[in-house]
Amino acid sequence: MADSETSFPGNPPGPNEGDGLTRREFLGKAAAAAAGLSALAAAMAPLRHLSEDDLPSVEEFLQKHYKEMTPADKERALNRIREQVRQRYGVEANVTDPPPLDGVEFVYGLNISRCIGCRKCVHACVAENNQSRSPEIQYIRVLEMEKGSIDLETANHHYDPPQVPRPDKWYMPVQCHQCANPPCVKVCPVEATWQEPDGITVIDYDWCIGCRYCEAACPYFARRFNFTTPQIPKEELNPNMAYLSNRPRPKGVMEKCTFCLHRTRVGRLPACLEVCPTGSRKFGNVLDPNSEVHYILKHKRVFVLKADVGTLPRFFYYFDERGSRYHEPITPETKGREVKEAGA
Amino acid sequence: MKARFNFWVPLVLLAWAGVLWVDPAPFVSPVPPRVAVPAWATDPTPVRQPKLRPEYQVAGYTYQCMDCHRIIPSPAETFRKLTQHAEIRLNHGINTRCFNCHHPHNRNAFVDDFGAEIPWNQPQLLCAKCHGPVYRDWQAGSHGRINGFWDPTRGPQSKLRCIECHDPHHPPFQPLPPAPGPHTLRMGTPGPLPHAGPRDPLRIFDRVRETSAH
Repeated sequence: MADSETSFPGNPPGPNEGDGLTRREFLGKAAAAAAGLSALAAAMAPLRHLSEDDLPSVEEFLQKHYKEMTPADKERALNRIREQVRQRYGVEANVTDPPPLDGVEFVYGLNISRCIGCRKCVHACVAENNQSRSPEIQYIRVLEMEKGSIDLETANHHYDPPQVPRPDKWYMPVQCHQCANPPCVKVCPVEATWQEPDGITVIDYDWCIGCRYCEAACPYFARRFNFTTPQIPKEELNPNMAYLSNRPRPKGVMEKCTFCLHRTRVGRLPACLEVCPTGSRKFGNVLDPNSEVHYILKHKRVFVLKADVGTLPRFFYYFDERGSRYHEPITPETKGREVKEAGA
Repeated sequence: MKARFNFWVPLVLLAWAGVLWVDPAPFVSPVPPRVAVPAWATDPTPVRQPKLRPEYQVAGYTYQCMDCHRIIPSPAETFRKLTQHAEIRLNHGINTRCFNCHHPHNRNAFVDDFGAEIPWNQPQLLCAKCHGPVYRDWQAGSHGRINGFWDPTRGPQSKLRCIECHDPHHPPFQPLPPAPGPHTLRMGTPGPLPHAGPRDPLRIFDRVRETSAH
């Protein structure tokens, strides 16, 4: 067949005939191609260090958006996370996905008259939420400012005196404000972050593409990016995890404060509040008229950070003032009420 | 021309492959080494653990206050140095008299405005004599520490009383050493920053303000 084709008078000349490659050219181009392939292989050398963990599993790759997952899908995802935690850390994790509670809208209050800037909240948050220890990721930033000013540009979060509070300074912890009008949610190009019905803005770490638009959009610098694989010693891993809050995050995704939703959605207080030695932190359901945060919003002098940017935070700073006219007086009926209630 | 092209392209590519393989300038991580966090930084134990019982420990024995004070009188004023309870450092503003708070006849109790007894385990009623607004805030929950559950229908809530944070004889909340500061990426270099210093890009506004003022 080939012989008959080459002998056909109308056939074009073969590769070694006429203007085709000479032997010298062929060897030269072959050497160039070989070198090019070697260079390509060398350029791909970092892939040798790729572990199985760096690539998503097929199941992870095909996983739907959190809001489109059925209960069975969610259970599969939780099982996958349990298995991943077992493989990476050797820890049996209790991974849950607590839903938002009906009739609950979480609000945080922080008494800046009482905060002493000891940073215990920062580290309790890191321990509770399985944040990376190296590089450090911290959701709470405690700003130290001169008394009589609220100049955030000159605030210092690296203060390190022997003891706090320093007499001429005051302290303002800043974390996610769980805004009612969150700019971080608006800018997310893939809807990997959204606001839940109880007011908590969450991230689906499996959906986040790590573009960091949300970090740029947040006026409070409340979002953190995992520039590298988070390092958490396995003995420090908190096994009480939730899908939307403190399960271990992969490299290249955003993370943020979720008001410890794995605790708060089952009625417990957030970790930063539990550890605060001065009781400056207050948390609760603002829709409950008997809650502390309801009392604070009703009776205290309250302000939000950067009110002018229109984010409508759910994080309120308040302070104690002498002789407030917003309070009811103490009466013989109210004095000792806690003793009567405890007795009854 | 063709021959020269075929000659130097593979050489350059091979040289580049060698450079990539040898990796003469390896990646240096900007991640700082981990700073140890002391255990107390995450410990939620309150700063004080008073007994809330009228007990006094001396020489390994525990006494009720009235064991001694049934027979031993106390000075009404505290201007002279105490011979007993010498560890008490009374620094409570103008409140300089023991019997403003302690009951003059029953030392196992505190005293209210009308001379009646306040049980030792309800110190907030005593503090409320002078610190009414704080007591009201404490009742409502905006002052003081509450731990456990925000929703008391789902679990227990513990509410600390005044003297579980404040020393009644020296009430200001005592200073604490701060836990380690941030060593995170993108939060600047540790250490105090000079005013309008060149290290922090956020401070560029200060420089602008300075130059525009002159």
